Amino acid sequence: MLEIRNLKATVEKKSILNGLNLHIKPGEVHALMGPNGSGKSTLSNILSGKKGYETSGDVFYENKNLFDLEIEERAHKGLFLAFQYPLEIPGVNNNNFLKTSLNAIRKARGEKELDAIEFLKIIKQKAKDLKFEEKNLNRQLNVGFSGGEKKKNEILQMSILQPKLSILDETDSGLDIDALKIVSDGVNSLRDESKSFLIITHYQRLLNYIKPDFVHVLKNGRIIKSGNSDLAVELENKGYEGIN
Amino acid sequence: MSNIKKIFIDKKISKSELENKNNYFEIFKKKGFPNKKLEDWKFLDLNYEINNQIPNLNFVIKKSKINKNQILENIPINIKEFNYVLNINGFVEEINFSHEDKSFINIETNPDKKNKIISNALENLNLAFNLDYLCINIKQDYKVKKPLLILNVIIENIKSSNINKKFDIFLEKNAEISVLNLVQNNSKNNFFNLHQRFILNQSSILKNYFVDINKNQNLNYIKTDIEIEKNSISENVVISKNSDYCKNEIVCNLLDQFSSAFINGIIDLDNSQKHEIRTRINHLAENTKSYQLIKCVLNNQSKAVYQGKIYVDSKAQKTDGYQSSKAILLNENTEFNGKPELEIYADDVKCSHGSSSGNLDENKIFYLMTRGLNKNEAKKLLIDGYLMEVIDKITDERIKAIIKEIIKI
Amino acid sequence: MREKEIDKLKEYKYGFTTDIENVKSPKGLSVDTIKYISKAKNEPEWMLEWRLKAYERLKQIKEPNWQKPKYPKINYQDLYYYSAPKSSQSKPKNLEDLDPKILDTYKKLGIPLDEQKRLNGIAVDAVFDSVSVATTFKDKLNEAGVIFCSISEAIQKHPELVRKYIGSVIPITDHYFATLNSAVFTDGSFVYVPEGVKCPMELSTYFRINASQTGQFERTLIIADKNSYVSYLEGCTAPMRDENQLHAANVELVALEGAEIKYSTVQNWYPGDENGKGGIYNFVTKRGLCKGDHSKISWTQVETGSAITWKYPSCILKGDNSVGEFYSIAITNNHQKADTGTKMIHIGKNTKSKIISKGISAGFADNTYRGLVDIFPKAKNAQNFTQCDSLLMGNKCGAHTIPYIKNRNSDSNIAHEATTSKISEDQLFYCQQRGLNSEEAVSLIVNGFCKEVLQQLPMEFAVEAQKLVGISLEGSVG
Repeated sequence: MLEIRNLKATVEKKSILNGLNLHIKPGEVHALMGPNGSGKSTLSNILSGKKGYETSGDVFYENKNLFDLEIEERAHKGLFLAFQYPLEIPGVNNNNFLKTSLNAIRKARGEKELDAIEFLKIIKQKAKDLKFEEKNLNRQLNVGFSGGEKKKNEILQMSILQPKLSILDETDSGLDIDALKIVSDGVNSLRDESKSFLIITHYQRLLNYIKPDFVHVLKNGRIIKSGNSDLAVELENKGYEGIN
Repeated sequence: MSNIKKIFIDKKISKSELENKNNYFEIFKKKGFPNKKLEDWKFLDLNYEINNQIPNLNFVIKKSKINKNQILENIPINIKEFNYVLNINGFVEEINFSHEDKSFINIETNPDKKNKIISNALENLNLAFNLDYLCINIKQDYKVKKPLLILNVIIENIKSSNINKKFDIFLEKNAEISVLNLVQNNSKNNFFNLHQRFILNQSSILKNYFVDINKNQNLNYIKTDIEIEKNSISENVVISKNSDYCKNEIVCNLLDQFSSAFINGIIDLDNSQKHEIRTRINHLAENTKSYQLIKCVLNNQSKAVYQGKIYVDSKAQKTDGYQSSKAILLNENTEFNGKPELEIYADDVKCSHGSSSGNLDENKIFYLMTRGLNKNEAKKLLIDGYLMEVIDKITDERIKAIIKEIIKI
Repeated sequence: MREKEIDKLKEYKYGFTTDIENVKSPKGLSVDTIKYISKAKNEPEWMLEWRLKAYERLKQIKEPNWQKPKYPKINYQDLYYYSAPKSSQSKPKNLEDLDPKILDTYKKLGIPLDEQKRLNGIAVDAVFDSVSVATTFKDKLNEAGVIFCSISEAIQKHPELVRKYIGSVIPITDHYFATLNSAVFTDGSFVYVPEGVKCPMELSTYFRINASQTGQFERTLIIADKNSYVSYLEGCTAPMRDENQLHAANVELVALEGAEIKYSTVQNWYPGDENGKGGIYNFVTKRGLCKGDHSKISWTQVETGSAITWKYPSCILKGDNSVGEFYSIAITNNHQKADTGTKMIHIGKNTKSKIISKGISAGFADNTYRGLVDIFPKAKNAQNFTQCDSLLMGNKCGAHTIPYIKNRNSDSNIAHEATTSKISEDQLFYCQQRGLNSEEAVSLIVNGFCKEVLQQLPMEFAVEAQKLVGISLEGSVG
C-alpha cells in the first residue's frame, strides 16, 4: 500500500525528517507516536502533497511514485488526510462541499456521479452513524464548529469518501471521551482487509479504542523503535525519554 | 453640444419644462463629466473613460421600430411571472402589473415635479435628457405580491449614445415592494445613466437589487437615493459584473428611529473592467442601523473601488453601523482601492469597519485538493463560497433565484 | 483638597514665558529673510542656494485646504522666521556660559541640561525658539562614533552627510508647509549613527517656543547607517499666548540596510484655552525612508497639545523585507482639532507595516485619522495590518476615520479594522465603586484604551505620557 524509503525533508534549511522508513500493507493499522516537533505533521503533509518541503528518498503508494501525483490525484487514488486543524471555509456549505468532493473522486475512478438525492441518502445515514448533528451538515464548512465538531466532520468525510489509506493527524487531540469514542467507532467500522490506516498521535489514549497492528516511535525525524501495541503502553509508562 | 430646445422639439413638453431642461443641461455643460480631481471620483475617472471610449457621445435618442416579442424572447427570464416595466432604449414600452390589485398602485409618467437644484453633474445630465420619467406610488398597507422587474434593454443599433433613465418609487405607510433592475445592453460604447429614488414612509419595506444580464462593453452610472422613515427597512444588493465600467452610488438617509439600511454588493471582474460601489449612509436619528458587506474578485487587469462612508449625526445616539469590504486579487496587475470612512458626532454608538484584500488562502486550496478537487475547481469553489455570503443576503428568494441563474453561481 | 489639585492640573503647566532678550530677523517672508537666516547660521553657499530654490518653488504652490481642520488664513508676512536668545549668538561651549534664564526654563520644564542632574541615560538637544542652545552627553556619544548635534552645526562640520541626505526623503518639491520649512528652517537636530553601532543611549530633542509672533521651523535629519540602531524622542511645549503660533517642522529619517530607527514624540504644545483662543498650529511633515533591505522605522506619537495638529509620519518601504510601524495616540479636548495618521508605501518585496491609531475626542474637539496603505505592483508578499479605534466623550465632538487602501499586488495582504466606542456607564460605575473619582476612572480607562501605543514609548517617557493622557482629558466628564 505505502512504502517509505529513507525519506528526508527540510523546510527553510531546517531538517525535519532524517531518513524515515515505513511500510504499510493493505488492512494494517499503524500508529506513529512521537513528542512535539518530532516531524509527525510534516510526514502527513508530505504524504498528502503540501508544498514547501524539500524532500529526498522514495515514497511508493500502490507501487507508484507518490511524488509524481498532484494533491488531488492522491485523493482520487484513495489517500485521505484527517487534518490536525481542519480549515474553516466561510460561505461554503458543508453538504455541498462533501458532494463536490465525493463526485470528483468518483469521477476520477470512473464511477457514476451521485445526484443530490442519492447523496443525501448516504450522508444522512453516515451522519446518523457518527452521531453527527444533521444541522451541522447545512452549516458553512467548519465555520464556528467546536474542536470536537471539526474532528467529527473529518471522520464523516473519511467515511463518505471511503479512502484506501487514511492518515489521521492528531485526530484525538482536544476530544473528550465521548467524541473520542465516536471517532474511534468511525475508524473501526471502516477497517477491513483492504483499507489501511496511519494514526499519528502524541498520546496512547486513542489506541485504547483503535487497536493498532504496529506502533512506531518517531524522534528527531526518524523511527527509533517499532513494535506491537505493547509498545504504546510502554511509552505511556516510560515516556519518550525512556525509549532508546 | 447642440441646443436642447431642438432635441425636444417634437416632444409634448411644456415651455417651462423645456426651460428647466435647458437649465439642467447648462449646469452639466459647465461642470462636464466628473473627473479624478473630484474626491468622489479620484479612483475611477469617468471623464477619461468617456473621452477614451465614446469620444463622440450622442445625447439624442430617436424612437426606433422594435420587435418587442423578439426582445422579450432574448431575456433569460420568464417575465410574465412577474410585474415588469419594459424600457427599450430609454423609452417605456410596457408597464405590466397584472398580478396586483391596481387600485393600490398609482403610476404617473413625466409628472410635473419641481426638482431641487443639485450639484451632481450626472444628475443634471439626467434631468435634462431623461425619457419617460416614471413615478410609482404604492398605497398604504399594500404589499406588492410579485417582484417588480425593471428591464432596461438597449438594442444593437444604438451606439455611442447616452441613455438617461429616472424613476421614483413611493411606499406609503406599511407598504412593501421588491424591485430588480436589470440591464441588457446588446450594443456597445453607450453610457447608461440611471437615477432612482425611493421614499419609504413609516414601517414600509423596500428590497432593491441590481444586475447586468449580459457581458457588454458599455459604461453604467447608477445613482440611488433612499429616504427611510421610522421602522422602515431598505435592503439593497448590487451585482456589479458585466459591463466595462460601472459605478453604483447609493445614498441612504435614516431619518427616524428604528429605520435600517442594508447594502451588500459583489464586484466580480475580469479583462480590464473597472467598477466601483460608493455608499453613504447618514444616520440622522436615534436607534438607526446600517450594515454593509462588499466583496470583490479581481482577475486580469481589472480594478475595483469601494468608497463607503458612515455619517453619524450628534442626534443619532445608539446608532449601530457596520461596514466590511473584502477583495481577492487573483493575479498580478489587478487593483483594489478602498476608502471605508467613518464620521461620527455622537458618543453612544457602535460603529466599525473592516477591510481586507489579498489572494486566496493557499491552505484552503490545499485542503480542498486533498479532498480530490483540482486547483481550478478548488479556486472556483472557494470564490463561489466567498461570493455566496453576499448572495445569501438577498432575502427575496424569487429574485435570488434569478440572480443566481444570471451569474451562474 | 482634591478639587484644588485637579484645578491646578487642568492648567497648562508649561504656559509660562521666559523674559529674555531676542535677536530677530526682519518680519515677513522674503529672499532677504532667507539670506538673513543663512548668514546668521554662517551657512555655506550651497545651503543658501538650496533654501532659495525651495522659496522659488513655494511661490508657485498654494496652501493645501483638503485637510479637515480649517483655520484662519495665516499672514506669512506678519511672522518672524528667526528668533534667537541674544546670549546664544555664539553658541556657548558649556553650560556655565548658557544664559541662566534658559537653563532655568528647561529646569522648570523638567528637562535639566545639567549633566549631574541628567535624565537617566538620555542625551538631550534643547531647541529654544529658532536655535539649539545645548546638547548634552556629546563626549560619550563621540566615543561610540555617534554624531548628535544641532543641524546648524552639522551643516558646518559634516556637510558631506547633510548635503547627501537633506531633502532626500522630503524634497523641496513637496507640499506647501514642507517647502516653506526647506526655505526658512532655523535649527533642529542631526543624528548620524555609523555602521554596526547601537546608539548607547536614548537621544532626545526638546523644542520650546518662547518668543511671540514667531514661527518655529525646525528640521531634523536622522541617518542610521548599516546595521545600526537608534531611539530618538522629541518633546515640545510653548507658552500660553492668545495668538496662534505656527510650527512647521520637517523630520527626515533614513535607515540603511539592516538599520532600525525608533522615533517617539510627546507633543504637548499649548493647545489654546478652553474657548479655543490661542494655541499652536502644528503642521509637521515627518517621513522615513527604509532605504536598505531589512531596515525598520517605527513612529510612536502621543499628541495631546496644539490647537490644530496636522501630521502624517510616514514610511517609504523601499528595501526588501523592510518594516514600517506607526503607533499613535491623539487626544483632543475643548476646541482642539487633530488630523493625523500615516502613509505606508510598500515598494520592496516582503515589506511589512503595522498601524495602531487611538483617537480620543472630548469637548468640542474634532479628531481625524487619515491614512494611506499603498502596495506597489512589485511588492510581493507585502503585508499591512491597521487598527484604528476612536473614543468619544460627549456628543459635541467628532471622530473621523479616513483610510485609503490601495492594493496592486495579488500576493499581498491588507487588513484594516476600525471601531468607535465610548466609555460605558458600567465601566465608570465599577471603577468608582472601587474608590476612584470620575476623572481617575476616565484616565484609567483611557490609558487602557491606549495601552498598545503607550507600551511602545521608551520607559522614561511612558510614565510621563500616561499622566499627560489623564491631564488632557480633565474636565471632560460631568
